[in-house]
Amino acid sequence: MSIGRILIVDDDPQIRRVMKMTLTGEGYEVGEARSGEEAEAELRKSQYDLMLLDMNMPGQGGFETCKAIRAFSDISIIVLTVRNTERDKVSALDAGADDFITKPFSSPELLARIRAALRRAPAPPEGGPRQMKLEGVEIDFQARKVLVGGEQLHLTPKEFDLLRYLVMNPNRAIPHRELLQAVWGPDYGDQVEYLRVFIKQLRRKIEASPDKPVYLLTEPWVGYRFALPVSQER
Amino acid sequence: MNRGHRRPGAGRIALQIAGMIAIILALTFALARIVPVNATTAGFAYLVAILLGATWWGLVEATIGSVAAVLCFNYFFLPPVGTFTIADPQNWIALFALLATSIIASRLSTRVRKQAVEAQDRQQEMEQLYALSRSILLIDSAQSVPRQVVNQVAQTFEAAAVVLYDHRTTEVFRSGREEFPGTEDQLRQAASLGTQIREPVDRCWITAVRLGTQPVGSLGICGVDLSDSALQSLTNLVAIGLERARAQEAASRAEAARQSDELKSTLLDAIAHEFKTPLTTIKASTTALLSDKPPKPEQQREYIVLVDEEADRLSGLVSEAIQMARIEAGHVRLQLEETSVPELLESVFAKMRSVVDDRPVEIKTPQDLPPVVVDREMMEMTFRQLIDNAVKYSPPDTPISVTADEEDGHVVIRVQDRGRGIAAAEMPRIFEKFYRAKDPLSNASRNQIPGAGLGLAIARAVVAAHGGSIWAESKPGEGSTFCVALDEARPATARTEAVVNAARAEAKK
Repeated sequence: MSIGRILIVDDDPQIRRVMKMTLTGEGYEVGEARSGEEAEAELRKSQYDLMLLDMNMPGQGGFETCKAIRAFSDISIIVLTVRNTERDKVSALDAGADDFITKPFSSPELLARIRAALRRAPAPPEGGPRQMKLEGVEIDFQARKVLVGGEQLHLTPKEFDLLRYLVMNPNRAIPHRELLQAVWGPDYGDQVEYLRVFIKQLRRKIEASPDKPVYLLTEPWVGYRFALPVSQER
Repeated sequence: MNRGHRRPGAGRIALQIAGMIAIILALTFALARIVPVNATTAGFAYLVAILLGATWWGLVEATIGSVAAVLCFNYFFLPPVGTFTIADPQNWIALFALLATSIIASRLSTRVRKQAVEAQDRQQEMEQLYALSRSILLIDSAQSVPRQVVNQVAQTFEAAAVVLYDHRTTEVFRSGREEFPGTEDQLRQAASLGTQIREPVDRCWITAVRLGTQPVGSLGICGVDLSDSALQSLTNLVAIGLERARAQEAASRAEAARQSDELKSTLLDAIAHEFKTPLTTIKASTTALLSDKPPKPEQQREYIVLVDEEADRLSGLVSEAIQMARIEAGHVRLQLEETSVPELLESVFAKMRSVVDDRPVEIKTPQDLPPVVVDREMMEMTFRQLIDNAVKYSPPDTPISVTADEEDGHVVIRVQDRGRGIAAAEMPRIFEKFYRAKDPLSNASRNQIPGAGLGLAIARAVVAAHGGSIWAESKPGEGSTFCVALDEARPATARTEAVVNAARAEAKK
């Protein structure tokens, strides 16, 4: 039985072979693409839960592919790269990746990253509010939808989970580690740059002026805080 | 331009005075003998002649002419005619009126003429300065800039001698047809103290060249009349020219440093990618085998096969890197042996199975293809590079074709892809080390294509070591063909000779 469909995108056939073997052994269903162009075509054709995307490919590179795919899909994307600098990580996340892993990697690490990316943060036990209306922004927690000015927004699953965790804990400075573990999973905690990029993307999507946020506030040295307007206070 | 008309020599002045007197005498002869006129008409005629003299030559000539005219007027026209005595006092007045008028008018007309000449000179100076500023702007910074500057100054101002002392390098540059009379000490002094030295006799100047308060050098110039303001502008232009060259030099040094940094990081990236790709497969396989939840037995074998294959690939990469370094250092030792091209190609493709993947590959070689004498290992590496390139630079589902043909005593092997091709402008550079061709259709950089930019450089070096040739043909948008031409092995007797020759060539290295 399949526990998820994964698309492997890499120009090196041996890397595809080893990843395919590892993933099918775990019970995932696997598709393959040799280039960014093929990956895009494959994603338009069939449904996948996650994509493993190599950054360094001939033709349309991983970076452009990531951006192109984000324009039409909310699929979870894990980027594979040989580079390990802060700048490369941030630019991959900026292009829309949910996570990345540096080559060479170990198979258990790859599997853990995949599990974290596919993981949806659990809804709070009591269910929490089903909906929340703010000025110009409407969040439907059950349908996992966000409306801004009446228009539905595309949030990636990780973006949605991050927003939900913040909204569920309003007016409290939530430390980085807590946020990372709540959204990405227990193995995370030090990847502050993930939060920086994702908060930036959320602000771009829901704040009227992303440079002067009113909801998603930075708590210097601590983490982030969701400022609930007074009228909304429960 | 020589301004001789402004400072005529003594001989020339004497000649002009004689000319003036001759005109007065001729006029007197004409007025008194040929067409007799009355005294009033004669007076006006003299006046006109003197004004003309003043306009053409100057005040000295006109004044002497005036005196001559007064004497002639008195002698030939004022009664009693034929004597210098004057009977009627009214005629005294007429005589002095003529003298005074002609002298004053001469003065006025000389001044106007002088102003006109000066204006002309200023205009000429302006034009020369403009021409100089243009040529300084167009100076070729690849050659010595101060040398070009002195040549331009000498040429534009037609100076007899020009020297430029560059304060930064303490070099002295000279130009012009004559030797500059000043010493280098004078030049150095002018540059550091900012003084100006004038030698009016030789019409020579030495003047400091400064940019703001910064001494740049000094300029000496001879045989040119320049106003102070023109001289100032000239030194400013020279200062700007030298400074601009310095700024450009600094900028190009910075650019070269930046490019070399960029090159290093691209190269490191490429090497990292090349080596980390097989390492990724190996690491993923071994960690899967070692994990707490080991894979099924049939999968275990598959993982080990992958590790084995990728270890070979890594080992191939390492030996290629070593070969590359050897070729770089010029230590190529060819192990020449007679080789069949189809066999060689087969062996190449056997080692490249994982790179070529499931690409359609066509290999066409005629049955009766003559063998070639090559270093098998080196030649295989060359074709691996060419095929690797074809794979990298064409879409994953397009075919790659390799053909070999006999042409005029050579075996020509062609590796053809159906990629986007190479722009004509890039053709001469693609075999250069580290050069990465741009996409011919979008002109975008293809840096994300893995590779170090060494493959074609290696291929060229190996083929050249075999005495063969390598070239590329391409139609942008339709693909590229890389061609290698090798001498075909000669029949047995000749072949021995070839091997001996090759061995001899090798011994020389």
